[in-house]
Amino acid sequence: MLKYRHVRNLGFGGLEHPVMNLLGNPEVCTNGAILDLWHPVVPTSEIEVGIVRQVVLLGQAVSYSLTAPGTYFAWRTDPAIPAGTVFMPSVVTENLPVLHRYGYLWTSLGDPSESLFEIPEYDEPDRRNIHAATIGVYCSAPRAVENFLDLGHFPYVHTGVLGIEPHTEVVEYDVHVDPENNELWATNCRFFQPMAAATSTTGKTVGYEFRVPHPYCCLLYKTSPLDSSRVDAIGLFVRSVAPDYIEANMFLSLLDESSSDSFIRQFQQLIFAQDKPILENQNPKLLPLDPRAETPVRSDKLAIAYRRWLSDLGVTYGVLPKT
Amino acid sequence: MIKLFDYILSVNCYKQRLIMSILDVPFESIPVDFYPGLEHKGEEFKKINPLGHIPVIDDDGFMLRDAHAILVYLASKYDPTGLWYPVNSPELVGETTQWMLFAEGTTNTASAARLHVNLGYEFDIDSCREGAHRLFRVLDEHLWFREQENRDWVCSGEHPTIADIAIFPDVILSEEGGIARIDYPAIRRWTDRVKRLPGFLPMPGIFPTADARPLSHEV
Amino acid sequence: MACFQRLEPMSKSLTNLWHPIASAEDLPYRHIFQGQLLGRELAVWRADDDFVNIWENRCLHRGVRLSIGRNEGLELKCQYHGWRYANRSAGCTYIPAHPADAPARTICNRTFPVCERYGLIWSGEDPTGDPPEISLLEKGRTLPLRSIAVNASLNLVLEHLANYRFSLNGDPGNLAVTTADYLDQCSLSVTATCDSKQSTVLFFVQPVDSNRSVIRGVLCSSPTDSERLLTLRHHSTELSHLREKVELDALKAPLIQPMTPTIEQVPITSYEIMMPSSGRKASLRVQVLRKWVTAEGIVGLELESIGKPLPTPQPGAHIDVHLPNGLVRQYSLTNAPGQGSLYRLGVKLESDSRGGSSCLHETVKEGDVLAISEPRNNFSLRRDAVKTLLVAGGIGVTPLLSMAHTLRNNKLDYELHYFAQTDGHLAFPEVLQEFGDAVVLHLGLSPEATSKELTALLLGYKSAMHVYVCGPGPMLEAARRIASEEGWPDTAVHFEYFRNTIEIDSSSSFEVSLARSALTLEIPSGKTILEILRANGITLMSSCEQGACGTCEVPVVEGDPEHQDVYLNDSEKAAGQRIMTCVSRAKSPRLVLDI
Repeated sequence: MLKYRHVRNLGFGGLEHPVMNLLGNPEVCTNGAILDLWHPVVPTSEIEVGIVRQVVLLGQAVSYSLTAPGTYFAWRTDPAIPAGTVFMPSVVTENLPVLHRYGYLWTSLGDPSESLFEIPEYDEPDRRNIHAATIGVYCSAPRAVENFLDLGHFPYVHTGVLGIEPHTEVVEYDVHVDPENNELWATNCRFFQPMAAATSTTGKTVGYEFRVPHPYCCLLYKTSPLDSSRVDAIGLFVRSVAPDYIEANMFLSLLDESSSDSFIRQFQQLIFAQDKPILENQNPKLLPLDPRAETPVRSDKLAIAYRRWLSDLGVTYGVLPKT
Repeated sequence: MIKLFDYILSVNCYKQRLIMSILDVPFESIPVDFYPGLEHKGEEFKKINPLGHIPVIDDDGFMLRDAHAILVYLASKYDPTGLWYPVNSPELVGETTQWMLFAEGTTNTASAARLHVNLGYEFDIDSCREGAHRLFRVLDEHLWFREQENRDWVCSGEHPTIADIAIFPDVILSEEGGIARIDYPAIRRWTDRVKRLPGFLPMPGIFPTADARPLSHEV
Repeated sequence: MACFQRLEPMSKSLTNLWHPIASAEDLPYRHIFQGQLLGRELAVWRADDDFVNIWENRCLHRGVRLSIGRNEGLELKCQYHGWRYANRSAGCTYIPAHPADAPARTICNRTFPVCERYGLIWSGEDPTGDPPEISLLEKGRTLPLRSIAVNASLNLVLEHLANYRFSLNGDPGNLAVTTADYLDQCSLSVTATCDSKQSTVLFFVQPVDSNRSVIRGVLCSSPTDSERLLTLRHHSTELSHLREKVELDALKAPLIQPMTPTIEQVPITSYEIMMPSSGRKASLRVQVLRKWVTAEGIVGLELESIGKPLPTPQPGAHIDVHLPNGLVRQYSLTNAPGQGSLYRLGVKLESDSRGGSSCLHETVKEGDVLAISEPRNNFSLRRDAVKTLLVAGGIGVTPLLSMAHTLRNNKLDYELHYFAQTDGHLAFPEVLQEFGDAVVLHLGLSPEATSKELTALLLGYKSAMHVYVCGPGPMLEAARRIASEEGWPDTAVHFEYFRNTIEIDSSSSFEVSLARSALTLEIPSGKTILEILRANGITLMSSCEQGACGTCEVPVVEGDPEHQDVYLNDSEKAAGQRIMTCVSRAKSPRLVLDI
């Protein structure tokens, strides 16, 4: 029933009329800053043993599979090894690098660093690590990340869940780049939430930290409703299919002991589904890095820093670079 | 209390939540892990619905499946005015049924495209989109002429029917499937009217609209 | 039939033409129509006062389509972060993430010209000249047809329309012979003749994008009620048939790249956004449209722009009025964002008038031209309060009226307490009536009784309540004291003084260093910081120049300010991080300012 989308569809603007589907081509990434990174392929929980499956990553078809002993493989799609067939490792002529981390299979189309960014919480014994969903969105990866880093939209997009009018104020917070790992951080963020998590029933001001360790991956840490000295982690790991189409993976690492996995997943899917129409209605679809392209205000400090950080990294895929 | 086997992102489940909210019928939502759990395809759920799909309702032991059948049941049983499913008028009940069948079409095209984009369901996306645009053209023309007759809803009566409830979710979420509504201004106005129905309830992906202009408005 | 190709070489560019972009009926109240012209998407909305707004369909903040937002009657609210934009001016009126700050005036949506004519809404990217006047449509009654969106280019649609056939009686089996004439490169008339009877339809083809168009037809006659629907149905059906043929042809034609309209850059960069951007300039010219006595000793003035539209009147904002006698005075705007394209002021004749209010009362008359500044807002309204109290003393009601309008339009909980001598002293009684029960009048009270009433209404402070007070000095002082006693934090109590009644002591002398300009200046006794800065070529905004309005505020990096203003509250004064350069001085020998 479920199929891993290997047909790359055109961007939203081109979809509106069938006649337009003939225009344009999938845009294959040539941006070294992006190619050399690890990218999430699929959640490993959805990988079937011994079957070839296929996705699109950065405009290129990538196949993957898993052998019975538990070894993951990924390679640039070869018509001789079609999706849906039985997998035999020996037929792959050139393997792509793979990592199995945080419940996902990761690969790279360039020359990646040895390891992926660390999420120390993942290995804490009393946590539950959950893959909530993979959802396709007609937007660029950086637009999705920027939205994930944003507090001000909570009362309007996640009304009654993550925010509610009139509690709309975004108070001053701190932004810094961690020089050791070149990660972008926002700390001391606070926002009023009428329902602070799947397990909450009353409103309160919740503390957040945001972390961007990768141009297309980000995490937020929020005060745990169970233990105010610890945090829950929620991650967004984006696979950019095309500059303006993504498949977003949502990851959680929670202290919650009572809610079912299914309940937590559905809550997270609800939140993401509320963001989706916003992301699909942004124009331009690519994130503009020129500071004068859009109108930031003080509360957009993190978004401003993210755009600058992308510029400094030399990211050109999924963005409108500064002219 | 009515139990609704429910998935928050399903348009067909939303149709039931919407009509029950409008009719002020209390219900309990039983979440089904539709994605990624595929719970509705599991053996346990097939005892509830051997076809393996949602929604299903359990009204004090009476089980019913299929979105549009459930709408007929809920309106027939819980709407004392008889206006939402107007069985007393042969013309109106005929029209209601006609447009409920139209909604099968919007579900199989617009909502199928949405499932393909969001969750990777295997459908012929181009034909889903073309089919949805064909239906939307028909609906837009129909609603435009309804407006010319000072009517707000898909059926010819003054009151909305379950046909509006059946079509609305497929239409309002069409953009998630890559089907824009810019060419359907009469449909866009009608969606605003549906959003202003007393008891209207959104689902993720649907935003409420502004209140209507007060009748005695001074500027 | 005129040939399109022959017209083209001498034709205007499509961007310089007026095009119909919607039907009038596409714009019911509280709806946002999604349109597109020459590739650019438009958000088109009719305000409650019937003004039609045509804006670029993207919020300036993050580019989200405004057509998924809400038309709240006089403001459009973006769905993403709740930013609000005013009817007519398209200026941003509120940014909920920063409820205490007035949005910079530069945040203004891109608007396009508008004209409602022949049942159609006309606009253009950059049209030259007036909207078209079409003699065929001027003469008699007309009937706009249902618009038809087509997936084909403008030229292809026109080619097919030139062969459009229809019936005079709505009978599809009886299509009449037609002749077509091009009016210009986007429109043509088609006339059907049958049994010596004639019917003409004008077609305007809207170039939506390279491969998309909308056919907008207007019938040059008005059928009877019984024939009206039949006629409309007939054309809708025949045009739908035509569309099928055009689209089949379009599939055969080579595809043209979609148009890529440019998105304008915002005028200023990020961190300047909340900073004032102009000095004490009388940059606007207005004409006195109406002047009337609204209460004893108070005249109402309505000022209409000459030339460019007036900037958005944010609630609480004031303007400088440059009077014919050379004086400059500040007056609050009483109307709210989106309420008309004019500014409404209330001016009280001061018994000790130094020539300001008396000039407006006695000399200025309807039709006179005045110079005014762009509005400034140092008394901005938060819209995130659980309840807002507005407390007015006398003419101090003026900024609170614009606030009350805004709170009412936003359906927020508020009360307007109006202290005045008698009901004959109540300004704008017709406006007060609109607020209904939200207005509480307190008439003819002594200072003691006023304090008692203030105590009663300030009782029971709850978190997220806000109070705005404007009135005479003694009343403000009383309100400030009582609010503090009743547990209101300084941040919840907002004041606007008409004037500073504190005796200014300018005897001290000290040194001022400018951190960013690397300049050190001596402030001698008898001169203000503002004066010395200006004398040294530093542009700084100011307005009242008596420590009341907050316009000339500057951040302090180092040193101990001697506050003599009434703008900052006690905790702000104690913090010593800001100074009003028009009146305040230094206790320490040196002040370092962040400019």
